[in-house]
Amino acid sequence: MKSLLRIALGLVVIVTALSAVQLSVHAQDNPRRPVTDDEVNAVSKKLYCPVCENITLDTCGTLACAQWREEVRILLSEGKTPEQVIENFVARFGDRVVGTPVDPTLRALSLVTPWLLSTLVLLSAAAIFIRWRKESAAAPKASAAQPSVQVTTHTLEEYRARIEADLAARR
Amino acid sequence: MTEWHVAEDILTDQSPAKRSVNFVTVLAAVILAGMALIFGLGLRHQQQTQPTEGMAPLFTLKTLDGQEIALESLRGKVVVLNFWASWCAPCRDEAAELEAAWQQYKDKGVVFLGVAYTDTERNAQAYLKEFGITYPNGLDYKTKISALYRIEGVPETFIIDRNGHISEFAMAPLKRTQLSAMIERALAKGTQP
Repeated sequence: MKSLLRIALGLVVIVTALSAVQLSVHAQDNPRRPVTDDEVNAVSKKLYCPVCENITLDTCGTLACAQWREEVRILLSEGKTPEQVIENFVARFGDRVVGTPVDPTLRALSLVTPWLLSTLVLLSAAAIFIRWRKESAAAPKASAAQPSVQVTTHTLEEYRARIEADLAARR
Repeated sequence: MTEWHVAEDILTDQSPAKRSVNFVTVLAAVILAGMALIFGLGLRHQQQTQPTEGMAPLFTLKTLDGQEIALESLRGKVVVLNFWASWCAPCRDEAAELEAAWQQYKDKGVVFLGVAYTDTERNAQAYLKEFGITYPNGLDYKTKISALYRIEGVPETFIIDRNGHISEFAMAPLKRTQLSAMIERALAKGTQP
């Protein structure tokens, strides 16, 4: 009886040990961690639907988006960071997934416009500053020009006085 | 003499400012005109639709089983180029029809190519397995092929004749009879000397 119990106990130990080994091997083969919906949505918020216009993946109800969200979940569960997931999507599906226009002209426009506007604003500011500087520099010049006005006035008075004198002499 | 001095003062005081204002105005006008031009070109580009005639845009498709098929290498054969996606319900309607047509024409100088649009490899493989599709299929990496053909959705099918010209285009799920008629028309065109 005792030997039977020993055998049974031994078998239980062996089976348990084998199951543990198998479980650990399985875990190593498939090292996935559970990913919450919030984690998936946080990444999905930064990706755009492949078939709709301007709708992010987290709010999109199409089957295409559902599949992509599932893909996000799988990649996160494989240990990829949100940045790596986004890079992976861009590498596979192109820049459109992050909202950059596919059309090369529109893409160029979207990239160049902010720089053009910034340049325009900077140049305008520089022009206004230069104008202000010129005006400031011109102000003392104008005050310096006042004596010449006085001279002008003086000259005219002299001229009048001379005319008056000439007229008086003729009388 | 004095009046001349006053006039010169006015000129020396205002001209640089005027010049700088004019420079900014001209620059702004040039930038705005440039942006309008780019925007106009973009709109024109956007309004372009799928090519329905002329040379078919060239591409190389990497199939899901690792082959690389260049469209150019298929000159002399009629090519049925089908854009699909595993998430697309109408694509499912035509999947079996496409496979049946492929079985009918695969020995008659016709090549079928499937391009999975914005699809994941996992889902695409499952779709192909589900419908028992045997002709070459590949993913549209970075949506480059679909951009070349300016597809607006899936399914879309282009029939390319033996000379590499687009023979016909369909923007809906096709039945086998429709597909056969399109292929026959392309085959009838023959090759240009």
